[in-house]
Amino acid sequence: MGLHHVDGYVLLLQGENILPFLDGLSSNLVNGPCTTVFTDRAAKIIDACDVLVIGENVALVGYGDEKDRLTRHLLDHLLGQNIQIRDISSLNKIYIGDGEEDYPPGATVHEGWFGTVCILGNSIDFEPTWTEEDWREHRIQNAIPFAKHEVTSRHHPFACGLAELVHSSKGCYLGQEVLTRMRSRGKFGHRLAVKENPVTGATTVGKAHSLSIERIQ
Amino acid sequence: MDCGTCESASPLQVHVPDEVEVDLTMTDKARDMLTDAFGDDRSHALLVGVLSGGCSGYMYDLQIVESTETPCQELNINGFRVLVPRASSHLLNGIEIDYVDRLMGGGFKINNPNASSSCGCGESFA
Repeated sequence: MGLHHVDGYVLLLQGENILPFLDGLSSNLVNGPCTTVFTDRAAKIIDACDVLVIGENVALVGYGDEKDRLTRHLLDHLLGQNIQIRDISSLNKIYIGDGEEDYPPGATVHEGWFGTVCILGNSIDFEPTWTEEDWREHRIQNAIPFAKHEVTSRHHPFACGLAELVHSSKGCYLGQEVLTRMRSRGKFGHRLAVKENPVTGATTVGKAHSLSIERIQ
Repeated sequence: MDCGTCESASPLQVHVPDEVEVDLTMTDKARDMLTDAFGDDRSHALLVGVLSGGCSGYMYDLQIVESTETPCQELNINGFRVLVPRASSHLLNGIEIDYVDRLMGGGFKINNPNASSSCGCGESFA
């Protein structure tokens, strides 16, 4: 059991019809708390985020370097909708783990696809129980892709193991046509693999095994 | 999560494109269909809007409305009141509203010279 501190960002969305707005721009069905992938027209990943519903507000938690790109993407599609976006990353710390942790009072906990996400305000003292290496081994054991390693803008969701975050019947969203065509034809190009070391071109290197994105022959 | 002080994080600035005076046309077929829909009642208007989403990023949104709280430009096209949201004017200038008469995929269509691409069903564009 453990919890690891990750570099990430938290965007707070306030206003009306926030979930439908996010649903129209990402691959998973967003009608409540979930994890979803924002893709571009070519279905390449902008970022994969956890969606937290906090009262009438929604928080988007991302783990990659794509905060600015995702923010611009969201703002470009607002078109006068009554939604305000605030960057509250600097007020909080983000932890992720296997969900078997005792969380301190004041923690916002979300069961996400990558793991259990815990967000704590900066004023709350908390010592993470997992090191970077613990988190890495956990990811490799469970074939969990993650930002900066497998989940990058070079890949589409199917290539890096995020097929479960691509809803098959939710309707249109940016990148949907490309992903639906891949799924219906069964042609994904690449896939996430867990392999015994040594692994050439590994995206996450572990002690005995590694994650890599391999071409499907 | 520290949201209690989120007011200290100011909203991110939205880049609002300049509003343009929308020039919009309508084919004869579309005009005929709207005549059928409106009848003699001209108190309602055709709202031509854009929503985010769809396969290409933006989706057309056609509604017959009495009024709207959305700030709009009001046009008179072939005797019909047409409302275009100001926030979407840069995306809709120059469009042609058409009507395609076929059993599958028929209905009102937008031909948009601003669209660099559109999805297969024609409901969304980029």
